[in-house]
Amino acid sequence: MAHILLIEPDRLLADAYRQGFLASGHTVVMCAGAQAAIFAADEKRPDIVILEFQLTGHSGIEFMYEFRSYAEWQTIPVIIQTQIPPSEFTGSWAVLSNELGISGYLYKPNTTFRQLLNSVAAILTPAAV
Amino acid sequence: MAKSIRASIISQQLLLSVAEQLKLPLLQIARQAEVSQLNNSNDLQTIQTTADSALRLIDNYVLAVQLALDQHQMPLEPVSVSAVLYDSGQELERLARNYGVDVELHIGGRFGTVMANREGLQSALVSLGSALIEALPSSGQPQVKLQLATHRCRYGIVAGIYTDTQQLTADALRHGRRLMGGSRQPLTDFTHTAGAGVFVADSILSAMQLKLQTSRHNGLFGLGTVLELNNQTQLV
Repeated sequence: MAHILLIEPDRLLADAYRQGFLASGHTVVMCAGAQAAIFAADEKRPDIVILEFQLTGHSGIEFMYEFRSYAEWQTIPVIIQTQIPPSEFTGSWAVLSNELGISGYLYKPNTTFRQLLNSVAAILTPAAV
Repeated sequence: MAKSIRASIISQQLLLSVAEQLKLPLLQIARQAEVSQLNNSNDLQTIQTTADSALRLIDNYVLAVQLALDQHQMPLEPVSVSAVLYDSGQELERLARNYGVDVELHIGGRFGTVMANREGLQSALVSLGSALIEALPSSGQPQVKLQLATHRCRYGIVAGIYTDTQQLTADALRHGRRLMGGSRQPLTDFTHTAGAGVFVADSILSAMQLKLQTSRHNGLFGLGTVLELNNQTQLV
């Protein structure tokens, strides 16, 4: 079972994901914005972070730079699940993923909850799942 | 000719914005249905409300485009602002409940009628309200309130939608208008979505020779429009 930090600005989508993760035996903390997510990670260290890049105010990329600036969070896997299609990352994805240590990218409109759940399971170590 | 080209450009920008915005309710419906199946639950109420909201966005978009292209006349008539605000609030209530947003109505006095198109004014307010309802919970505030309000100003009667977020600035709106259709997130300080409801409202109000602008009401920040009093129906 993993402790998931879900950074999703849309309340209804976040609720749907949360219900799915809870039913699958995980615990979830939901945050709508970058700053709240930093506080949430500080309160309880997540096993994995699921992040939407398009947030209100501070973007997901800003969150990633701040998140990775703390030594204790540098190895926590982060999955980007976003409405931004892969075509818009052409050229910048390698830089982003290497510099920010991103474990996976999922295009939200094409990703079922089951696929998201499988990605989480695949990325986490067996001990955490 | 120039007007027609401009209307066509606005329609295309609106279409891009609405198309981007419509991904959200469709995605919500897909994930809500999938998770409901996973949990063997039959909670169809949220899915129905989400679908209704998407349909309303399409309807309002179509109205905005018809008006922009000048194929649809929008006759002005004496309209009671408080009645339009009340009906808009009723229309927004279920979506607001889903998002955990409280909708309040505040009529700051007894006003006469204004000259507007009732359908257009209500569509604009509902579009605006829907956009704000989707945006506000992401502000991270524990309790989110939305106030549909009207008050008198120097130029007439203001009808608008207000909240306690300070991100609804004139600069943010001006910047958003420039980016509409070209950016995935034109109102970045205020909403994570394409904010299509704001631009649809803007377009509908423009067709009635009205202007969407930032406004203050009882210490709250919001977006609204100034409506001219209908002098013909003033009794005193």
